[in-house]
Amino acid sequence: MTRDLVIGMAGSGGDGVVAAGEALMTAVALDGYYAMLTKSFGPQIRGGESSCRLRVATVPVPSPGGTLDVAIALNWDDFLRFGGELPIGGHTVVIYDSATGVAPDQIPVAGVRPAEVVPVAIGEMARKAAGTDKAKNTIVLGLLAGWFNLAPQHIVSGIRKRFAKKSAEVVAQNERAFQSGLEYAEAHPLTSDCRLEGAPADAPPKLVTDGNDMCAAAAIFAGCEFFGGYPITPSSEIMHFFNREIWKHGGTMLQAEDEIAGIGAVVGASFAGKKAMTATSGPGMSLKTEMLGLATIAELPLVCVNVQRGGPSTGIPTKSEQSDLWQAAFSAHGDVVRPVLAPVDVADTFGVTIEAFNIAEHYQTPVVVLSDQDIAQRKESFDAIDTSVFTLEQRRRPTEDELRDYLRYRFTESGISPISHPGMKGGNYLAAGIEHNESGAPTANGEMHAKMNDKRIRKFRPLAGRHDLFVVDGPDDATLALVGWGSLAGVLGEAAAAARAEGLRVKTLVPKLLYPVAADVYARFFRSVQAGLFIEQSHQGQLHRLVRMFVDLPPGIESLARSGSNPIDAGLVLARVRQLARGLQQARAPMVEQVG
Amino acid sequence: MTTVVDVYVAKDYKSDLKPIWCPGCGDFGVVQAIYRALANIGRAPHEIAFISGIGCSSRIPGYTTAYGFNTVHGRALPIAQGIKLANPELLVLVAGGDGDGFSIGGGHVAHAIRRNLDLTYIIMDNQIYGLTKGQLSPTSPKGMKTASSSFGSMEDPVNPLLYVLGYGARFVAQGTPADMAGLAAVVEEGIRYPGFAFINVQSPCITYGEADQQLKAQKQRLEPLASLGHDPSNRLAAMELAQAYGTKLYTGVFYRDPAPGPTFEDLARERQAQLEGQRVTREHVLDAFRPE
Repeated sequence: MTRDLVIGMAGSGGDGVVAAGEALMTAVALDGYYAMLTKSFGPQIRGGESSCRLRVATVPVPSPGGTLDVAIALNWDDFLRFGGELPIGGHTVVIYDSATGVAPDQIPVAGVRPAEVVPVAIGEMARKAAGTDKAKNTIVLGLLAGWFNLAPQHIVSGIRKRFAKKSAEVVAQNERAFQSGLEYAEAHPLTSDCRLEGAPADAPPKLVTDGNDMCAAAAIFAGCEFFGGYPITPSSEIMHFFNREIWKHGGTMLQAEDEIAGIGAVVGASFAGKKAMTATSGPGMSLKTEMLGLATIAELPLVCVNVQRGGPSTGIPTKSEQSDLWQAAFSAHGDVVRPVLAPVDVADTFGVTIEAFNIAEHYQTPVVVLSDQDIAQRKESFDAIDTSVFTLEQRRRPTEDELRDYLRYRFTESGISPISHPGMKGGNYLAAGIEHNESGAPTANGEMHAKMNDKRIRKFRPLAGRHDLFVVDGPDDATLALVGWGSLAGVLGEAAAAARAEGLRVKTLVPKLLYPVAADVYARFFRSVQAGLFIEQSHQGQLHRLVRMFVDLPPGIESLARSGSNPIDAGLVLARVRQLARGLQQARAPMVEQVG
Repeated sequence: MTTVVDVYVAKDYKSDLKPIWCPGCGDFGVVQAIYRALANIGRAPHEIAFISGIGCSSRIPGYTTAYGFNTVHGRALPIAQGIKLANPELLVLVAGGDGDGFSIGGGHVAHAIRRNLDLTYIIMDNQIYGLTKGQLSPTSPKGMKTASSSFGSMEDPVNPLLYVLGYGARFVAQGTPADMAGLAAVVEEGIRYPGFAFINVQSPCITYGEADQQLKAQKQRLEPLASLGHDPSNRLAAMELAQAYGTKLYTGVFYRDPAPGPTFEDLARERQAQLEGQRVTREHVLDAFRPE
């Protein structure tokens, strides 16, 4: 019995591998398990190979996991195309369609001998039970339910719902296919026992969704009334969600002619007094840069989501990376501070998106949310979120008194000035991308520019004290440290937990506010630290270098950064932590001898 | 107690800012015509949003008492559309130059027309880049010598009128500050038109513009379309007349769609009303993620 199971599947287009993963995801969530489903496709629009990876556990799932416990290949060649994403290890149970023509003794891949190799005539069973190859994925669901104890009743009710629109015959075919897989599994037990423990009987009902839908839902919760954007992978689902929902809330969305117009409309909606948002991915972010600068100098709130993908340029649109941090923080001309936030998982995307709106409205600024393809497009099952704990900020409007001698960009102690909008009598002003005085009138006066720059940058000072936007875990005096952000936060937590189980004293820091750099938070965290790692999915380790611009880190801090589509897993991090710990011990060893 | 009825006159729309335009610039006349048109319409300045891009002409919102937004080069139209969609009650004006509208921002014009929001887009067309000191513009005549075309332009000019008519604009007019009354009239008509209205204003650049394009010369050669007996509901006739851009100076309304149909914001409001019944309260926005 196991409490944590990682299943990987791959097949050709039409094999329904992803559909099977989705069905399984819903079924286990209804059973009360925590789960995470990641999907991967070849570059084609339809057809070609596709894969998914489902991690199911009785405790919250922090990451997609490392080596597979169960590997299912509907087509062996397709499976091998995902080699790096679906790695097989010594404990893996490999199940594959025997029609592939590969003999079980040929299965070792890359020198690894899996624990068990099980050829099953999946295609033949599908044809026999359902009369069609299309039911192969349903056979697989039956096998998984039988061998690993995975939610059979919920899978059956899922099949009924899914095919209800087709015909009673299709429902019956698929039920027969499922039953056939289940019976086969019962008749041919596995030698390895990796059946999943039952979810706790009192497991609370779960929610299931992905980061993109969560981001859009959070924006609507935050009171966003306008969305402007342009289709781009992997962020488009945010626009799709808005398109379905925003009208119901009296809001509007615009699929613009390009990325510039998308954010331009958002700047306009914000000027008109509404909470507004745009979403894009790397290349679109490049196009939006000038408008972000405009919103900065005109002091207009907006949220700009960048679902990071592999870059530069078109890069790898369907794979995840964390390589747009420098762009988010610095792609502006002139002196600019632009807050950048990053969620750590699907559920966290809710709070972080709301926080982005709160910061945007409070400080009258564009805020960038750096999601990534991994969080944005993976599905997670997680506990219900208590929405009553969130407060929503509104921009500071002028009072009637302030409207009597209204100055839009009035110098205040906080740097934040009351903001009016068209329709508000007495609040008339000129907003501009050009430098202006307190009333908004254009000026080329250098002293005024210096004062305005100071106002626009000074207003962000309180952000440095936002300790609530950082998650610190582990013993306060630990000498070993891990820092990571975005989708790697879960990997980092998992590695730290494993290291602690080995007796290592490790603490972790996960910033959700990436910029401006909260120097105090890092300085305090690193006080006890002698060795540590910044873990990032980029080539240059962008957070590590960004933090070093503002904070003096201890000399033992290294960067574990890797670009490429294969995520860093907890095992790799753990290996590096052990190395660092050995290094610290060796450094201490001579001193021990002297004392002895 | 006396009841105050808001009646506006042209000077109510004039701000205290002193224009940076060269003495004699055509844009002085354009802003005067806009004050007059706005006074005739009578909307309160705080209910008007006046959006522009970058360039000499784009300074114009600052010279009015409306809410103004002097944005970035070429992008006034997307910003104006966001404003109108966010608050359809506002009167939204958009202004810019020929470079702003037909070079850097050229891509947005087609889509603003296609969407048909109730905006009035005024281009001050002077066939030159004034603010950057005299380079080629998209409407500069072929052969024109400028700072960036010392040996003469090798490009055909854009024909703004044909361009917007070709994209299906529902209201297209042309004016010149050489005829203030006529210009104020087309601006007013454009604002009153229930949909996207385009007005090309031949507003000469006194510093870099060609001598035969100046106001005095324009006055001699302008031809009001009304006096030609042109039927503004005839799109093909409008396109034929628009061919004369660059040679003749027709003023007045080239085309006015007699059946303008709903605007984008009308359709948006309709959709909001249709779907409002399906609204869930904010607190329940996550219910959609419960598996079943």
